[in-house]
Amino acid sequence: MPEENKPKWRKHARPIIGMAVISLLICGLFFPLLITGIAQATMPYQANGSRAYLPNGRLVGSYLIDNNFTEPVFFQARNQSLTASGVDPDITVPEAQAQVPRISNWTGISQTTLLNLINSNKEGTFWIFGSPYLDVLNLNLILIQQYPQIYQKYVANT
Amino acid sequence: MISPLEIAELVLLLAVVLLTAWLYAPFIVKVFKRTPSRVDKLLNPIENSIYKLLGIQVDRSMGWKEYFFSALLVNIAQMAIAFVILTEQGLLPLNPMHFHGMSWDLALNTVVSFATNTNLQHYAGEMTLSYFSQMTAIQFLQFTSAATGLCCGVAMVRGFILQSKGLGNFYVDFVRAITRIFIPICFVAAIILVALGVPQTLSGYITVQTVEGATQQVLVGPVASLVSIMQVGTNGGGYYGANSAYPLQNPSPITDLVQIFLMLLIPTALCFIFGDYIGKKKESLPIIVGAYALFAIDLGIAFIPNPVTVGPGLETRFGGFMSTFWTVVTTAVTTGSVNASLSGIHPLAILAAFMGMLIQSTPGGKGVGLMYLLMYIIITIFIVGLMSGRTPEYLGIKIVARDVKLVMVAFLIHPLIIIIPTVIAYASGAAAAIGMGPNSLGFTQILYEYTSSAANNGSDFLGTLGNTPFFNVSTAIVIFLGRYGPIMCLLALSGSMLGRKRATATESSLKTSSWTFSLVLVASILVLVVLTFFPFLALGPILAYFQGHLNFFSLGLWV
Repeated sequence: MPEENKPKWRKHARPIIGMAVISLLICGLFFPLLITGIAQATMPYQANGSRAYLPNGRLVGSYLIDNNFTEPVFFQARNQSLTASGVDPDITVPEAQAQVPRISNWTGISQTTLLNLINSNKEGTFWIFGSPYLDVLNLNLILIQQYPQIYQKYVANT
Repeated sequence: MISPLEIAELVLLLAVVLLTAWLYAPFIVKVFKRTPSRVDKLLNPIENSIYKLLGIQVDRSMGWKEYFFSALLVNIAQMAIAFVILTEQGLLPLNPMHFHGMSWDLALNTVVSFATNTNLQHYAGEMTLSYFSQMTAIQFLQFTSAATGLCCGVAMVRGFILQSKGLGNFYVDFVRAITRIFIPICFVAAIILVALGVPQTLSGYITVQTVEGATQQVLVGPVASLVSIMQVGTNGGGYYGANSAYPLQNPSPITDLVQIFLMLLIPTALCFIFGDYIGKKKESLPIIVGAYALFAIDLGIAFIPNPVTVGPGLETRFGGFMSTFWTVVTTAVTTGSVNASLSGIHPLAILAAFMGMLIQSTPGGKGVGLMYLLMYIIITIFIVGLMSGRTPEYLGIKIVARDVKLVMVAFLIHPLIIIIPTVIAYASGAAAAIGMGPNSLGFTQILYEYTSSAANNGSDFLGTLGNTPFFNVSTAIVIFLGRYGPIMCLLALSGSMLGRKRATATESSLKTSSWTFSLVLVASILVLVVLTFFPFLALGPILAYFQGHLNFFSLGLWV
């Protein structure tokens, strides 16, 4: 039957329901799948969560998520119940420096070496923006790589 | 006070936003005026096939009622689809974590919240939603709500054009807003976010053994595509419960600045389109000055206390400065994303956040911010007219009694739907039931919940604490009225301008494109909003400040 003779609600139902469905297909499926495809093909490291590995190749987590270090031979993150995300992977420079004597005591690595490690791994600043911080997992993985003897236990327990 | 370097960072970022928005604004005008463009070759065939499939007559312009009800009904149809997806996600694909369907009241709250550009979240996405739900319920509604707001804003502008026959065709505006504005910007934004470390995958959470041997899950998913539209569309609902405080959603200060830029871009561009659209470029002046002067006042209030370096509720990579800046921006454009726990934010910064949500046009949410600015302009013209004893006119259009009534209704909806439910929440014991005490900190959090809902902002203190039938249903009602009430009144106002006589400007008529008028506008917005809400703000964040609280962690709970 011609458009004009249809009951009013049916004339309106077609664009209303149709628009809802088409917008779902474009915005809810086409767009995120397109981005997923491109991201996986061109930037797999970031797209899969910035995964972190031990020198022996074991997957241990993500550089962006706190790795829950508790032992005194490692740098440790803030008390996570005080952070917004509960998984803050970063500490400030003074927070890192404060841990140096403890780590040095337990591992025998000199304080100067540890302070240099902190200095050369600051992140988060560019040009006039941001203030420096350190990624705890990154620091500890560097320690494990540079001192395989001291950290043997953690590499071996796979 | 903040350091000169931090002031330089603020000014620089805002300058980049203003410049980009100013350059982008003419493109938005072209999209909605359907001016021929280079992208036609690619997009016309797609758009035309949609119009054909749905039987849409492209050149038929609508009156305000048809425009409004088309938008409302399409939105309701979208809510219905998303509601089914959320409650039945257990039966749907892409659910590697085997999450169950949502409860009806939480799903109702969620779809109303997302379809209206609010994005209040009483759930933590990473523990509740399948990948399919994140994409086809959450991201889907984030696109469509942003597009709906933008279309309504543009439709209102069309009422002020001399030769306009109608407010435009909603379906055509809606399609073009998605295909030509949101998808392209979000495409670029999502790719940049992935490059800077935001995940985008469908392959399930990763279970790992940490270095020390404990078991941990890395919660990845299609995050970047969601974050792009949540910021560009001033939606604000995050992939994760902790929103942009979660490192996988916002890994570094660079992504933080990118996200701030994205949320400011289109609202700022919309401030520039009004004059361009009606063919009187200078008329954009009071809009952009009004929006940014009020935004600057908000920032000023927020940065009176010296922001802490790192404190409870904040993320190390952002610190107090970037967290405070974000909080002001996200409420100024009614996005509602957060990069810190609001409990860790200073009461004065929370006061600034309230100001942004109460004014709603600094520069405000997608399209709706522009509508509110036009509303304030008409109120101001009316007040100025009363004071000088002259018939109020805007762009040569006489402002009649009905216009002022509509504008007042649009304005007064807001305080009513904030204040009444706040009182009910306390009187009924619903606030006490979730531990919110009758003190400045508890009161701030409940008032914030309804302010954020009414302003379609979506940031909140409560989070999953608000997942009770009382708060789910009451905020859903507030959100719905706060969205469609003012839009309906303002489209009715604009629709009634069509075909009205225009007087030619004379020496004695009010020059709305002047700096003087812009400043009067700023003052009148401040007076209106402050007078309406001052008693409530005084009991909340202002009292908290004078009691010496530095954040909302202590004493906020009913103990």
